[in-house]
Amino acid sequence: MAKRYGLVIDLERCIGCNTCIIACKLENSLEKGSWIRVETIGGSHRDSPKGKYPRVSMHFLPILCMHCDKPPCLDACPLEAIHKRSDGIVMVDEKKCDGCQACLKACPYGALVYDAKKKTVQKCTLCVHRLEKGLEPFCKICCEAEAIYFGDLDDPASSASKMIAARSAATLKPEAGTRPAVRYCPTKQGRIE
Amino acid sequence: MTESGETVVIRTACGIVDGVRCGILAHVRDGVLVKVEPAEFPDPRFRHICARALCSTQLVYHPDRLKYPLKRAGKRGEGKWQRISWDEALDTIASRLTEIRKKNGPESLAWAIEVMAYIRLASALEATMINPIGFGDAAGPCADEITFGTQYGHLYTMDVKNPGMVVLWGANQAETRPYYWRRIRDAKESGAKLVAIDPRFTGSASKADQYISIRPGTDAALALGMMNVIFEKGLHDKAFISQHTVGPLLVRGDNGLFLRERDIAPGDSDNYVIWDTRTKKPRTHVEEGTRPALEGVYRLAGVECRPAFQLLADLAKQYPLKTASAITEMPAKTIEKLATEYATRKPVASYRSMGLQRTFHGDLSWRAVTTLAAISGNINLEGYSEGYRRFLFNGGTMLYGDKFPSPMPLLKAYEAITIGQPYPIKALWLAGHNFMNQDPDNNKVMKELVPHLEFIVVTELFMTDSARYADIVLPTCSFYEHLDLLPPLDILSPYVQLQPKVIEPLYESRPDRDIVNEIGLRMGLPKDFPLSAEQYVERVLSSGHPSMEGITLENLKKGPVEVAPYNITGFNTLSGRIEFYSERMKEYGQELPVFMEPIESTRRPQAKKYPLSYLSTHTKYGNHSFLANIAWLRELDTEPLLEMNSVDAAARGIVDGDMVVAFNDRGMVKLKVKVHEGIRPGVVNINEGWWHHHFAEGSYQELTHATINPAQLAVFEPNSAMYDNLVEVRKAG
Repeated sequence: MAKRYGLVIDLERCIGCNTCIIACKLENSLEKGSWIRVETIGGSHRDSPKGKYPRVSMHFLPILCMHCDKPPCLDACPLEAIHKRSDGIVMVDEKKCDGCQACLKACPYGALVYDAKKKTVQKCTLCVHRLEKGLEPFCKICCEAEAIYFGDLDDPASSASKMIAARSAATLKPEAGTRPAVRYCPTKQGRIE
Repeated sequence: MTESGETVVIRTACGIVDGVRCGILAHVRDGVLVKVEPAEFPDPRFRHICARALCSTQLVYHPDRLKYPLKRAGKRGEGKWQRISWDEALDTIASRLTEIRKKNGPESLAWAIEVMAYIRLASALEATMINPIGFGDAAGPCADEITFGTQYGHLYTMDVKNPGMVVLWGANQAETRPYYWRRIRDAKESGAKLVAIDPRFTGSASKADQYISIRPGTDAALALGMMNVIFEKGLHDKAFISQHTVGPLLVRGDNGLFLRERDIAPGDSDNYVIWDTRTKKPRTHVEEGTRPALEGVYRLAGVECRPAFQLLADLAKQYPLKTASAITEMPAKTIEKLATEYATRKPVASYRSMGLQRTFHGDLSWRAVTTLAAISGNINLEGYSEGYRRFLFNGGTMLYGDKFPSPMPLLKAYEAITIGQPYPIKALWLAGHNFMNQDPDNNKVMKELVPHLEFIVVTELFMTDSARYADIVLPTCSFYEHLDLLPPLDILSPYVQLQPKVIEPLYESRPDRDIVNEIGLRMGLPKDFPLSAEQYVERVLSSGHPSMEGITLENLKKGPVEVAPYNITGFNTLSGRIEFYSERMKEYGQELPVFMEPIESTRRPQAKKYPLSYLSTHTKYGNHSFLANIAWLRELDTEPLLEMNSVDAAARGIVDGDMVVAFNDRGMVKLKVKVHEGIRPGVVNINEGWWHHHFAEGSYQELTHATINPAQLAVFEPNSAMYDNLVEVRKAG
């Protein structure tokens, strides 16, 4: 049966510890950069709030490939190097990719990464190599804040689906019409972006 | 190790971050550590890993690892080195130490370490052990020694089950100790109110229901102000105070000592005396059926006596909301509400890290918060006794013989090295203690201490700021490269864990324990001095300590083992009670947790010249100076920054991203400024741990002082007041 793998990230829980970033680097042997980033929703600096001290606020927003139902990167790729698997995972075929980076421009989330050494585009695979062994994505395993839930979004019994239901988890940039498989439980103040 | 390309998974435990006990599954292929992941525990709550431990492969295979022993070939710090053999290095060290020991006495050899293996050598040589706790971590334990008779008393106020409120007193667990954070989060998700009190809006503060800004170092005034509110509203826990604290014990008005039975009756009984409101007579504290007075004045033995609680209430009365507000610069309403909630949302968990106690009078801040918890009955006796059992390890097993090395507080070592008081220290061996980077008043360290040292040995993984000034540098192994044992730790972990040898030592590096053995033999210690790692582990496990019962090397090889329960009852103080009033602190005017203005606060005269309070806080991007050279972490946190509020920046014509100089009479540091709203006006911060070369000029520790607090020295040891320093900041020219 077809699946729709996705992640649910609880922004009330995320503490911006960046463990997911290092986990991604380690799991995918990324010397530079990472396929997940953690933005500070606050001031102009990382780890800095918005507002006027002491009336300030800040939260953290991990961003990775959204494994969209309608991935604009896929449509933008002139070489058909990007495809969506039956389990929902969007993959870049590095053998087909010539590094034109049209997909980078098309992605509303800035989730694709250009590897200048390999001259190809890379991105989060939801740790597909781990899923094949029955393991969960490594960022989920390592998340210090236990803020990441993984599962089949089409299965209402999955922990991810349950979180979506319980916390009204939403997507980033719904107006883009991409229908992401990465959802966010808003902060207590109801914030996502 | 196989050569088949097959991956072997070995369970170990993290040796990177101090005060943490994460289990690690190390993946090894062809003898190479290729990956780490969090390991399971019998209790799944303990499965953790953080960004720092996930950088293990970067640490182990770092290109800058020290590869072989080095001998200084130029002036100290010049960076000229000669590669030497281990034999030459060990022979040189042994002969130099022997020579210095002969000339200046055994205590002139000193170790300042985080690596416990050296205690055996120092004890065998009757040498000095410099306690690293004086680097900023001594005032809390000092305070707890006074109040609870144990260094870890704050757990009584922290390890609270199902709290209705959690207060973070200058603590930032979400960033510095995410392992604690899960408990705080669980409390919050169960409905507890989370309050963060901090001069910085931290990652933890961003998760709080209420963030309260405070003038640095004024926490005792806040706690006293809160106590006054609680007393006025009658919200204090009289039963708890009567039963578990010195509150009802009468204090003599003439000398400030507790009234004893011998003062009012024949005999020499040193029972404490209370005033029984039922019989209206003095009775001893051990008598049953009494109803002790907490308030009032009673004339006994010819002097006026008051219950200790009355003295505390009198002190708190000096901090009405207006005064407390003026001192802390917190709105009076905020203090009043916080106080009321503190006494009514019970139980309240008070989380403290080391920030609260890093001002000159940090022990008083710490005692005041503890006292607030005690008078409101927010002390979990049961929970703490569960936590206590996890602190164990019989220190005696680390010794050779039964004598501990001569203990030397860190700040006293400054005097021992420079003026030979109380005795001279001539040789210094550093292992895991980055003295030239981390310790206060760095200019003093470099210009006065280093030249006075005849011989400096550093065992390290890298050419640290300290290693650069060594005469001999020895390459040591990472924790993946030798066998060791990781003890349990307070409430964080009840488990004993093995750190097996996961990979062979890299290059010519050797485990510290081997170095200890080799030096001992070369210095003429008996044949039974050397101890293999296995022997050491066996020694600890068979020490006879009740907590180690049934734990063997064999079952540790299978996984972590929970230590046997080792509960304590009562308090280890003279009175057996929580001593918010302390007889022995009378001579310092600190018998109660009084508020004393920080010695370098913005209200001191020197603030005219240096108007900014300077902090050097800890981050999620490293562990002290240990991981400052790890590329993956540096991608995230690229360079040192001086945090400054926009108000202070504007007043100085500074804009975000400018190069600035922070300075005072002691020194300076030049770096980039981060102007933002996450820090209180009047306060600046540089995250600690950056190496000297990361700064354009100077270092963050040039700005701090090494002033000794005599009260702390008398009780425990003086703390470095890292968060009690004034500076001025200007745009770099």
